[in-house]
Amino acid sequence: MIEVIQISRGGSGGVTGAKILAEAAIMFEEGLYAQAIPKYGSERRGAMVQAYVRFDNKPIRIHSPVYEANHALILDLSLLDRIDLNSVDKEGVIIINSKKIPENLKGSGRKVAYVDATGISQELGLVLSGFTLVNMTMLGAFVKATDIVSIDNLVKAIISFWGEKRAPKNVEAAKRAYEETKVVIA
Amino acid sequence: MVVKHDKKSMTGNDAASYAVLYAKPKVISAYPITPQTTIIEKLSQYVDEGKLDAEFIIVESEHSALAGCMGAAWSGVRTFTATSSQGLLYMAENVFWSGYGRLPIVMPVVNRCLAPGWSIYQDLQDSMAFRDAGWIQIYTKNNQEVFDTVLQAFRISEDKSIALPSMPCLDGFVISHTTAQVDLPNAEDSFNFVGEYSDPVIEVDTEKPWIFGGLVGPEKFIKVRTDLMEAMERAKKKIVDMNKEFGEYFGRTYGNGLIEIYGDDVADLTIVSMGTIADEAQDAVDKLKEEGLSVNEMRVRTFRPFPEKDIVEFAKKNHKLLVIDRSVSFGHAGQLRIEIEAVLQRNKVDTSVEGRLMGLGGEDVPYPKIVAAAKEALRSKI
Repeated sequence: MIEVIQISRGGSGGVTGAKILAEAAIMFEEGLYAQAIPKYGSERRGAMVQAYVRFDNKPIRIHSPVYEANHALILDLSLLDRIDLNSVDKEGVIIINSKKIPENLKGSGRKVAYVDATGISQELGLVLSGFTLVNMTMLGAFVKATDIVSIDNLVKAIISFWGEKRAPKNVEAAKRAYEETKVVIA
Repeated sequence: MVVKHDKKSMTGNDAASYAVLYAKPKVISAYPITPQTTIIEKLSQYVDEGKLDAEFIIVESEHSALAGCMGAAWSGVRTFTATSSQGLLYMAENVFWSGYGRLPIVMPVVNRCLAPGWSIYQDLQDSMAFRDAGWIQIYTKNNQEVFDTVLQAFRISEDKSIALPSMPCLDGFVISHTTAQVDLPNAEDSFNFVGEYSDPVIEVDTEKPWIFGGLVGPEKFIKVRTDLMEAMERAKKKIVDMNKEFGEYFGRTYGNGLIEIYGDDVADLTIVSMGTIADEAQDAVDKLKEEGLSVNEMRVRTFRPFPEKDIVEFAKKNHKLLVIDRSVSFGHAGQLRIEIEAVLQRNKVDTSVEGRLMGLGGEDVPYPKIVAAAKEALRSKI
């Protein structure tokens, strides 16, 4: 089983992103089961929101949140210090929305995947009520950094979720991030 | 022959809405409450888009929501609502009225704890408080079972020999808002299974007016109650038959419909629970077995009617039960434990029972916690 913890800020689309990632695995990856759990509470725009995604090659019977993740998906650089990276597998990837390797990860020896998701999304006009929607962009980074869901199947899931009309910008965001994400040992 | 399915991804609430869409009720009467809201949101959307030809009654409270369904049931049409927590409490009078009145209403309860303390998270306190309301209660373990159980519930409730409302129960958030795989049959096959509600258990006939819920003297009253008790008894067989028939048609069953066993037939310890804890407990059983410990699991799927015979038969061959309750009867114990102890005692089964309260108010119950509880239970001598 592969477990992912995602942190984002309310309004940036994190919960929807986690759902689409699970959908890509369930609907388009042969033989893969998945689950997306949004952590509900007093979440609101701008506040930290957590979501968890699980993948397995057999039906998933676990319903609890993810405590020890294989990978961390961080949609907002300023939330990096809000996650205990010791709870994330040393072999896993920290996928983060950042123009460069974050200072506190430098020299950590951790596998880091970074991309300027905010920049890409803003260029594509993926902004809603003042919040930059980085969810699809960061999914592009996620599939680049990990070997779970293919970019083709992610694109299929994005189109299936958003519909032909609203999909293009979201697909473009994911594809661009897929191209531009750098995976390094920090 | 098993019908074709599409592999879909959806939340537990969406799974409930799909089952309702396919069962084609004529009247939906509902009021939103977290975490049930997205069920009725989806249904109002289906009605608005013309996908579902139903009267959607938007009411001002849960009490009225169920009253709307009661009126629809009396007029002999298929009807649906859903609620949670405080909403279920607010409709209390009508919950008992529709149970004792034998109205075939299907109403999922998206389980959420009761206030205070104020919380939106899951435990079973809400629906368990209505165990005596004359409703069938089936506790589901995942999104797939939600879809399947809601479909089954229409058939069970609308059977003339049963004529009881059904409450499919699903844990709030962990099922209702979690996205997971659901193998979805198509609309036609689903409706073929449920069928038209063509032979209503009750139907208003304006040519022959009569009174519903009129005064009943003490000499007839016992008959009203024993009729209900007998219907509940018949419902056990109906649920077993429905589970079997569902399996033949859709290729999935849930134990025998009443209880589901996981692991070996006989073990040193049996974990007993309901809902998602019971699903997660299967991972605990596997983990314990890997460590060389002898543990199996019994999931109580149907809580009303209570599957006395099935529970007793399984408990009799086993040594000790660890009953995990996600709700409590204050001044006594967890309700599942109370009832299990009662049926064991009545049947002179001396399998020991230990109870644990877990997962109240949304407390996470990851399988390592269940593993730890099982190990403690194996160590204690009781």
